[in-house]
Amino acid sequence: MLKIENNIWEKIRDGDSLAFEQLYDGFAGAMFSLSLEILGDRWEAEEVIQDIFAVLWRKPDAYSPKKGKFSSWLLVLTRNRSIDRYRSRKRRLDRGESDEILQSRPDQANKDGAEKATASDEKEHLNRAFSNLPPEQRKIIELSYFKGMNQQEIAEKLDLSLGTVKSRTRLGIEKLRNSLSTLRL
Amino acid sequence: MDSLKQKALDYTLGVLPKEESLLFEAMLEDSDDAMHSLTEAQEDCARIALSAQPKTLGNEVKQRILENCQPNLNFDPFLAAKPIQNLRNTFTRTTDRYNGGGGSVTLRNINDARLQDEINCLYDDLITLTPLVAGDSDAAAGDMTSLHSVLKGMSSFSQSIDSLLANPISKDKEGNGAQSVYRSLLSSMPSLSFFSDRLNGKSFSMGDVRRLFYLCRDQLKIMRASFDDIDPNRLLEDEKLRLHSAGLLQTKWWGAEHAYFSAQGKVRCGHFFDGPVTERCVEFAEYDANMYCLANLLSPRSSNGEFHMELIKDAVPNCILAIARAETTKDQHDELDQIANGIRSHTTGLQNDYILWELIEESMLRAHQHTTLSELKDASLFGCHRLENSSYLWFAWPAIENNQGGAVA
Repeated sequence: MLKIENNIWEKIRDGDSLAFEQLYDGFAGAMFSLSLEILGDRWEAEEVIQDIFAVLWRKPDAYSPKKGKFSSWLLVLTRNRSIDRYRSRKRRLDRGESDEILQSRPDQANKDGAEKATASDEKEHLNRAFSNLPPEQRKIIELSYFKGMNQQEIAEKLDLSLGTVKSRTRLGIEKLRNSLSTLRL
Repeated sequence: MDSLKQKALDYTLGVLPKEESLLFEAMLEDSDDAMHSLTEAQEDCARIALSAQPKTLGNEVKQRILENCQPNLNFDPFLAAKPIQNLRNTFTRTTDRYNGGGGSVTLRNINDARLQDEINCLYDDLITLTPLVAGDSDAAAGDMTSLHSVLKGMSSFSQSIDSLLANPISKDKEGNGAQSVYRSLLSSMPSLSFFSDRLNGKSFSMGDVRRLFYLCRDQLKIMRASFDDIDPNRLLEDEKLRLHSAGLLQTKWWGAEHAYFSAQGKVRCGHFFDGPVTERCVEFAEYDANMYCLANLLSPRSSNGEFHMELIKDAVPNCILAIARAETTKDQHDELDQIANGIRSHTTGLQNDYILWELIEESMLRAHQHTTLSELKDASLFGCHRLENSSYLWFAWPAIENNQGGAVA
């Protein structure tokens, strides 16, 4: 699925443009898919990917092996940057600021990740990956992972105790680890 | 899940409070357990990421991204050139920042009723078109049915511009209204009409849809900043304090194709600083219009079909320099120089180019709150300069003094 050489970051750090291209070929698709899943906006997702690759080339020391596996770090960075954009867009809407684009799609502001995931056929693959999770665990992981909510916010949104949110997160993550462990990083 | 693993997961997801994040980062320095927990959390999260529905990126995205690997152009000789030295020596930032919108007029006060109608229709068409090319549109997902249907039902933007520009818009008759009309027709609109025509044909790419989206968004804001009654509610939002970063400009100019009527060019970027350029949408719209004017003047005169758009801060203290640069022949440069100096030649077909430069001049008067053009020119706040075989056009904009804490666009 995703194949990048172990030492690709070192090569990029040394200015190897071929390695940079190989990273793009091997990994940009997964990064883009994740960003698009979170943002639901192709141009914004492209911007996220473009920004991350620009940082990687110009400031490769943004990553260091101390930060874990390079491929995992890239996906986490993609997820976190996408979530930042999603939150920024949501804040604008929460403030009631108009946006000719967002106004033309009024459902955008109110749909949360779980609703979108179950509403669209396009989410089939994602749903399959989560199909083994009980709905209450799946909901919490989706809110946390794809919408960037912290546990306190999730507890308030779902009217659950913080302890329940924590335990469901733990159980869900552990089950996902087992069911998704065949996915190579 | 024990506390350390929970912290590692929250840290990875970016939801750990700042103080706790700092403590956790300190732990990572000397705790193998903390590092192990972080690695595990990252891998868990990365696996979830891979469960997202696979989507394909267009080849144009790869081209844009690989442009990072090309060496940046050296702007030092230009920054050391006489006009920029003069700017450096004379530039002072005004006490009260210009907020944009100073060139705005009321559309219903335009004397030419046909112009009024055409401008209103143009704005309405763009409001209809914009969501059809947005990032969540069917067109962005590759289904062009709705977009084609709407484009075929609209009158061609190219024809509208040609028709409106067929007769000069008299400054005597329309006053500042002439400037607002020209800003609306000559800055981003020629490129917009080029891409809408291309998308209405058979040969286009996904990158064209994206480019049209950015152009529509910019054009709508430029029109709101030019006519205060065209969409008052959205204009109110545009006037709110909201920092606009150089990144917004870089995103849309980086690797873009640009068109000015029949001339096309490829944009290259390299030196974009990281920080805010303007404080409000309405100010950003004016800045944007100036950038398009530079691009429109330079792209048809590039010898190799490429031109640079760059944004450099602090080369002149308290100032942001927008620079357009292209390789040009001497004749092409001389033509630019004449336009920049207002020297009317017998060459026909340059009327619009003189207007583009005048739009920048008027904007500079407002941004730097000067009363005469000669003051601006003496201070080299904008201009045209030749170095070796390249032409440089630039304008200076006051840098934002302090972050006023407004929202970020």
